[in-house]
Amino acid sequence: MKKPLQITVNGQLQQALVEPYFSLLDALRDEMQMTGTKKGCDEGDCGACTVLLNGKPVTSCLVLAHSAHDSEVTTIEGLAKGQELHPVQRAFVEHGGLQCGYCTPGLIMSAVGFLESDEEPTAENIKHALGGNLCRCTGYSKVIEAVLAAVEPTKAAGRETKTGLGSPKAE
Amino acid sequence: MADFQVLGTNQVRVDALDKVTGRATYAADVHLPGMLMCKLLTSTHSHARIVSIDTSDAEALPGVRGVVTGKDYPDARFGSGALKDRRIMAVDEVFYIGEPVAAVAADDEVTALEALDLIKVEYQDLEKVIDPLLAISGESALIHPDLEDFEGYGFALGGNNCTMLDADRGDVEQGFKDSDLIVEETYHTQPINQGFLEPMACVADLEANGRLSILASTQGPYQVRSQLASVLNMPLSNIKVTAMEMGGGFGAKLRLALEAFPALLAIKTGRPVKLVNTREETFTLNGPRLETNIYLKTGVTKDGRILAREARSIFDVGAYLGAGPNSGVGHGLGAYDIPNFKLRSYGVYTNKIYVGSYRASGVADMTFATESHTDVIAHKLGLDPVEFRMMNALKEGDTSVSGATLPRNGLKETMNALKERMGLPKKLPSNAKEGRGVGIALGEWRSGSGPSTASISVNEDGTVSLLTGSVDISGSDTSLAQIAAESLGLRLDQVIVAKRNTDLAPFTGPSGGSRIVYSQGRAVQNAAEDTKAKLLDLAADRLGVPADALACAGGSVYVLDNPPQSLDLGQLARMSLSSRGGPIIGNASLSSLPYAPVFNAQGVEVIVDKETGQVRVTRFVQAQDVGKAINPMGVEGQLEGGAVQGIGRALSEEILIDRETGRVRNPSLATYLMPLSVDMPEIESILVEIPSADGPFGARAVAESPGFGPPAAIANAIYDAVGVRIRTLPLSAERVLAAIQGRGDEYNVDADALRAAEAP
Repeated sequence: MKKPLQITVNGQLQQALVEPYFSLLDALRDEMQMTGTKKGCDEGDCGACTVLLNGKPVTSCLVLAHSAHDSEVTTIEGLAKGQELHPVQRAFVEHGGLQCGYCTPGLIMSAVGFLESDEEPTAENIKHALGGNLCRCTGYSKVIEAVLAAVEPTKAAGRETKTGLGSPKAE
Repeated sequence: MADFQVLGTNQVRVDALDKVTGRATYAADVHLPGMLMCKLLTSTHSHARIVSIDTSDAEALPGVRGVVTGKDYPDARFGSGALKDRRIMAVDEVFYIGEPVAAVAADDEVTALEALDLIKVEYQDLEKVIDPLLAISGESALIHPDLEDFEGYGFALGGNNCTMLDADRGDVEQGFKDSDLIVEETYHTQPINQGFLEPMACVADLEANGRLSILASTQGPYQVRSQLASVLNMPLSNIKVTAMEMGGGFGAKLRLALEAFPALLAIKTGRPVKLVNTREETFTLNGPRLETNIYLKTGVTKDGRILAREARSIFDVGAYLGAGPNSGVGHGLGAYDIPNFKLRSYGVYTNKIYVGSYRASGVADMTFATESHTDVIAHKLGLDPVEFRMMNALKEGDTSVSGATLPRNGLKETMNALKERMGLPKKLPSNAKEGRGVGIALGEWRSGSGPSTASISVNEDGTVSLLTGSVDISGSDTSLAQIAAESLGLRLDQVIVAKRNTDLAPFTGPSGGSRIVYSQGRAVQNAAEDTKAKLLDLAADRLGVPADALACAGGSVYVLDNPPQSLDLGQLARMSLSSRGGPIIGNASLSSLPYAPVFNAQGVEVIVDKETGQVRVTRFVQAQDVGKAINPMGVEGQLEGGAVQGIGRALSEEILIDRETGRVRNPSLATYLMPLSVDMPEIESILVEIPSADGPFGARAVAESPGFGPPAAIANAIYDAVGVRIRTLPLSAERVLAAIQGRGDEYNVDADALRAAEAP
């Protein structure tokens, strides 16, 4: 039987009746009509469904929707401020870090989660941070290049706008 | 040629913003009011008669709106090519584990899955054949005993051999007699998956007027339309196919896939029906690739001239011929001029998943064999692998396997670029624990052709709208827009690429075989020229000067001798509305373009751990003749992505098939090992630009070729590193270690079994 679920998605409170067995991914896509987050395997292997849950990247197909009750979720739809892209989005565009685009939302969310963490953003660390995201088109070179190019702009954007993206929820 | 404004420079993809913001809409993202969810029941038996199917309990389940079985479809067979050997859904017999047996549409996915459990199918097992070498031997059960009665059955041995190809030239026996050295080998390649990230998906909807609307993830909307018309026995004109954003296809989405299941349920229920494959189904329903066994015999003189080649390749096609064994003949020689040859390739049925296309089907398999073989011969002769290849390489004016005369091409330039970048020949230092080696391989392909159309209309603000029927594949929309912009003297953002469906756009061939930029691009260029001619005619009329005194650039048509005397495209478009010729539309249509070969030379450096057999690629360099790089950033992306798919094929990817039942044992991305970012070296790509005669601005095909070389280049590097020759893919740690320890034979294919498959 469906149960009420409330999650803050991209800064907006979302309330929906969701089956108890639904994943966060299915809740986002099927109940909240936010289809930017992609389902590539539904088994936690491909990373296409990566979102930030309380600031940390997770594969949303492996998170039960109701376990995310009262949480803050950031999806690919929530990164840009109006027409202004997040620096990671912009870098993917400018450096050709995408082709078919299906893995792109997940890759971008993993990259944003990583760049907003305390890890040092070296090429090697970036490769490992994206190690759970499969991409079949690009061969990864331009993806890594894009994330490297986004390091400084992401820091700068974080200072100027204090988006709070990536900062663990204060509790 | 004039300096390019838009072409040849890095351009942001026209679809990039949609894709980085989550706005791009893929088929699975579609939600229509009243939409039902579809699920498939598939066979659990390798080869069996269906005694009965009872769907009554499923139909009685609340929330279930429709159930169909094979008997609900018209009694028709269809095929990917000429041979019509396949039913869309099993009727009285199943031929592999995973074959669709019934489909359910229900209010939600969970109800549909529950309903599948309530369908009772009674099977009676039949004799099955899993091993392709046994299947072709004539000593096994027949999978389709009525093969020779199927429409489109042509040249083949019969039995389980459903199709074969041959090519002969010169006197191959005399060539072997004249040779100083004869090398005979067998190679084996593994079943492999295209690995696109977006599982196949489709929404079918019956419109009020009775027409069927299909929203699909497809490379070939017109192919889906015609095949769907035949399996539903419906007029083609009653079907509209809209190609949604496609999340990777690599050949698997060229033809009808799952569309017929939601389509029939939409007709039956009168409601929209969505079907999205599970990841498991992408391994069993989408036509991946099965094993290939390749026999090669080559005769060569002491000084390194190849005189004769015999090649025989057996492609396991599984239960149905989803893609043919063409590459076995087409790529039996590699990129070399060999005067005497005898080439045979066979497609053979087994009780396994049926094969489809994957990034130039079979060419990577053949290239692994022929380019490993080339290295083996070079080493036996004591010649440098680069020099041996160059001695025998195809040259302009030579005749290709197909009989076409080789036009100007960049084979030599790509090899030289590779040699220079890697500093070949060279020897890397090894030690007791690690072997280091260098290997190269040369891939060859042709620029894809086939029916191509384009239409360009000039808008009242001076922008243009570009309409083609082709689905964007790997950035092709951007390249097509660049071609239109460059031809008309516009900026890229002044070209609108229309989203299209089969009602709206003129017929075009599928997005596959590296044909879009080459052929479709040529059609766009021709349509732009047609548009320009009409613009010039109108401007000539209005400016009172002859058309040949005018030029079109910078968004205007101007008088060459007096540029301020001009009309911008917006003015012309507005004038055209009331002109004699009417609104300006330029069109072009073509059926095929001449042969334009593509060569890709690749080199790798590897480290082989002698204790574990683990192979690590530490450097990867490739040089490809791309003719003209329309969008260099996009071209590099294609070359990098293709190379990484090739590295996956070389080292880790393999669909594991149960030898008893033919079942796929690893249908998940956790167990089917595709490369990850952490596994990959940086890919260095060198773009060689020897223009083709007919491609737009000299462009050649790009995307297929980079995937061919890696398995052979890496195998050759392993040989260089530790002195063992692996002839079976993937080059996994256990195989390499077995070879190092002298147990390599257990992985090799029996040459006698291969030789037994003789042409009649």
